[in-house]
Amino acid sequence: MVLNTARASSAAPTGRFAAFSFVDQITQIQGVTRVCGLYTIPVNVEHFPSSLVAEALGQLAAWVAMSTLGFSHRPVAALAGDTKIFSLPKPGDTLELIIDIESCDVESIVYRGHALVDGHKVLELADTVGSMLDMSEFDDPVALAADFVLLTAGGRAIGAFKGVPRPSLTDLPESTLGHLQAQLAVPAQAAFFEDHFPRRPVFPATLLLDALLQLAVRVAAQAASGKTLRLTRITNVKVRAFTTPGASLVLSALLAAPGSDELEPYMVKLTAQGEGKTIAGAKMYFALAGDTA
Amino acid sequence: MAEAVITKEEIMAVFPTVQKTMADALGCDVDDIKLDVSLIEGLDAESIDFLDMVFRLERAFKIKVPRGKIIEDVRGDMAVTDFEQGGVVTDKGVARLREYLSEIDESRFKLPMRVDHIARLYTPETFCKLVIRAQRASQAAG
Repeated sequence: MVLNTARASSAAPTGRFAAFSFVDQITQIQGVTRVCGLYTIPVNVEHFPSSLVAEALGQLAAWVAMSTLGFSHRPVAALAGDTKIFSLPKPGDTLELIIDIESCDVESIVYRGHALVDGHKVLELADTVGSMLDMSEFDDPVALAADFVLLTAGGRAIGAFKGVPRPSLTDLPESTLGHLQAQLAVPAQAAFFEDHFPRRPVFPATLLLDALLQLAVRVAAQAASGKTLRLTRITNVKVRAFTTPGASLVLSALLAAPGSDELEPYMVKLTAQGEGKTIAGAKMYFALAGDTA
Repeated sequence: MAEAVITKEEIMAVFPTVQKTMADALGCDVDDIKLDVSLIEGLDAESIDFLDMVFRLERAFKIKVPRGKIIEDVRGDMAVTDFEQGGVVTDKGVARLREYLSEIDESRFKLPMRVDHIARLYTPETFCKLVIRAQRASQAAG
């Protein structure tokens, strides 16, 4: 089904369905197999990391999952097996989002997807699994159904996202060469909490990944002795628990040896812990800038 | 119809892959994954790990395991109300559970048993059997 592609032109809202929403329009739905959409990065948003491109893909998958299940359940970030990063989009770029759904039921959604800018792939997700949870715990199902209609009937006004502050990390004294540890102070209040989620504020896992990336970049740079690196892949992302506003997390980045079948020279294992418990983990891979790995 | 017996040979044939897959999912050493260790009490697995393990096993063995498959299989043709009452497994349900999870030591079936505590019984062998059943179902479907 190809949907109406005429854009809405009303003023951008704020808060719910705005402050952390990364689908402007759903342009095509092919049953519960493929869905396409668009998102334009506002021109005044300077920091739009790759993790937010992944967030946009995840949100597009979520819209179809929620619609398929009659807005009784919504998926939340759980597993992302393999994310490839090709380039970083710029402010003003329009992301073309494409999701292929492998399965979707009241327990989970399994999908893969990719994002393009001007026909060039910027990011690709594979082996992605979202856990389904009771919708009413997070947002008003009726309001979400109305939002879905808006997205599929021409889309919403672009430009609602005002950006997110870069994560603030404080190095911990336990850090050693090749193993950095830092404290992440999750803000107690932020605009994105109004949207993620209106009834139960949760620190987005993609912002946590962006914070982990900051640490991973430093560890990889130590190992590369100042050579310029680029992030190529994020694998084994597992989100084990929700992070609430105001939480204090300990992030850890440990330089590790990549597997013999891996092309990138640098791999960093990452964990986030809250109250002594691991709440998220991932591996990030870096190649020398200019290499095709 | 009674299920065809799953032999020790069948279990040991799939165990190395199950073992490696579970170690990857749980971030532990392969040697920590013993056939009879409790995944929750022995290896600190959580619900997200079960989702991860099933997903990885599907990929590794090219099988499809519907979510909630273990409980569904345990119950079989038994009505839900015969299997559980108010979230607690009935005597008939426990008997069916013991039969299905025959690899689990008797002493680990603590009564009364809540349905949401059944997963505490699961071991790597439970997942080996899940894989074998899925393989058989796939072969039967042609």
